[in-house]
Amino acid sequence: MSDITDMAGRTGVAAASGEPDALAAGATTRERLDRYVALIGPMAMIAALLLIMLILEPTRYFRLSNFDIILKDAALYMPMAMAMTLVICTRGIDLSIGSVAALTAIVMAYMVKSFGFPWWVAVPLAISLGALCGLVNGLIITRLKVPDLIGTLAMDLAYRGFALVLAKGVVLSRFPEEIVAIGRGEIPGFVAIPVVIGLSTVLVGYVIYTRTRLGRYALAIGSNPEAAELTGIPVDRYKVYVYVLMGAMAGLAGVMLAGKLNAVQATSAPFFNLHVIAAVVVGGTSLFGGRGSIVGSLAGVLLLSMMINALVTLRIEFFWQSVASGAVIIASVAFYTWLQKADRDGSGGLASRLATPEARRMLRFIALLFAITGALFLLGWLFAGETTAVR
Amino acid sequence: MRGIGKRFGGVTALDDVDLDLYPGEVLAIVGDNGAGKSTLIKILTGVHRPTSGTLTMAGEPLVLTGHSDAITRGIDAVYQSLALADHLTPAANLFLGSELTVRVLGVTLLDNRRMRAEAERVLNERLGVRLRSMDVPTSSLSGGQRQAVAIARAVYRSDLKVLVMDEPTAALGPQETARTLKLIETVRDQGIAVVVISHSLDDVFAVSDRIQVMRRGRGAGVVDTADSDVTSVLGLIVGASAEAA
Repeated sequence: MSDITDMAGRTGVAAASGEPDALAAGATTRERLDRYVALIGPMAMIAALLLIMLILEPTRYFRLSNFDIILKDAALYMPMAMAMTLVICTRGIDLSIGSVAALTAIVMAYMVKSFGFPWWVAVPLAISLGALCGLVNGLIITRLKVPDLIGTLAMDLAYRGFALVLAKGVVLSRFPEEIVAIGRGEIPGFVAIPVVIGLSTVLVGYVIYTRTRLGRYALAIGSNPEAAELTGIPVDRYKVYVYVLMGAMAGLAGVMLAGKLNAVQATSAPFFNLHVIAAVVVGGTSLFGGRGSIVGSLAGVLLLSMMINALVTLRIEFFWQSVASGAVIIASVAFYTWLQKADRDGSGGLASRLATPEARRMLRFIALLFAITGALFLLGWLFAGETTAVR
Repeated sequence: MRGIGKRFGGVTALDDVDLDLYPGEVLAIVGDNGAGKSTLIKILTGVHRPTSGTLTMAGEPLVLTGHSDAITRGIDAVYQSLALADHLTPAANLFLGSELTVRVLGVTLLDNRRMRAEAERVLNERLGVRLRSMDVPTSSLSGGQRQAVAIARAVYRSDLKVLVMDEPTAALGPQETARTLKLIETVRDQGIAVVVISHSLDDVFAVSDRIQVMRRGRGAGVVDTADSDVTSVLGLIVGASAEAA
């Protein structure tokens, strides 16, 4: 028998003897800055970009109409970036958002055009369908235990397939003016509707992230899934919530895209997933979960739109955009990882690090790969025969 | 706990173990690896159900349906891994799973300010601990301070009767160990029954009132700390009458 007889009247205020546990008082400066790292990163890159454009093409880039274009382009990605921040905070990922956007937009288009649904039903319906797609993703990940990378990648294929089945090659266009307004309308007074929608979702996302259980548990689940379980958090349910939100935002983006282009087809929104994930990562959210920033994701979205706009303004070929985006993503993640490293001033610089035996082996290996590739090019040139024109 | 037995398939982890626990005392459970210490306290905290034997609390039979059931009955544990979300603040960790909320315009939101204040109060007043800062990620606090946050989380429930601590000082240096042991004494002085599993007999003799020794799934003896010493307890752990290994 475990005799735990409760002693009556014992209330719990007992100060401990001995000195209180106060080491260096308060948070260090570095720690106070840490909270803003997520913001400093993209801000620094935005500043750098503005500087470059100031030098190269000031008149065409720094126009109010150009910033308007940038904002409207960014607004399309804001809702998804907000939701993706939460998903990534849980150590998850969702690669299916482009297909969900296309699928829900196509269903909405059919409801409006073939079945005469009013826009104020069709738009919430698209969002709700997106939420259902997110629910499927969430259930696959939590109940079937399929890892999120594979699960959402596969569903990306599946949702895209559904979109193709429904629409085949058809381009659905000419939507009612309200839907077009959602995509590209303006409230007189020079505020674009998509920007209002985008910024509102970011605001809601900020409240969710900092002041609701959903945000708190998303962070906890990503930071220490075991601890989340032990403290009684219903991990599976909250993971599903996060994916449902993601799907709903993808549905909203689908509506915005359909309105903006006044057209939608099964192949619409091909690179939503990479663009949004890039924006979130550039904004300082850690892919390992537990640490993120809604404001950082907003900055990331703005940065990517500014960068693409800059490339267009500089008349750089469209396909270089992908190279540029890739470079920016890698540079920012590498920079953040370097910032997070606790010990940054040891080991004496690049030259000494290249001189170690391990580094030498690596350099020899790299040289070997380049040599083989170079030799093959040389071989081809030596044995070159007739050439045919490349159209 | 009386006559507790636990079998996992063909393996007998516990065999006819008794355990008595009283409020306002620290009971140390010691024993070599595989002696059954973890299994015993997992039964106490409701994680496992005993294959045989009974639990009673305050004279009433106690049947636990799970860990959360144990918590509502006033039995909680601080694990060796501490179960802290390192990226969150101490206050967030303290209230993890049972956040304080406030209704704003019909929406339930987290009351971060009140949680921070309450966390500071529990740590300062009930445990006598002042953290380096309440606004940093918990991972940047020292091991002892992280212990304090984990203990505060368990202690915050006003109806806590039993606190189980699994290897609380295993990863701590001497100064932090001393602080943690003081914390354990503070918790005990508030009338809570504290069960400490430890490999360190020094710590055990520093803080416990009674010592229960486990060996190979059976109880090997219970001694009052004041009346015993390291050698005799070691003897009980190892088996003074040399049994065949």
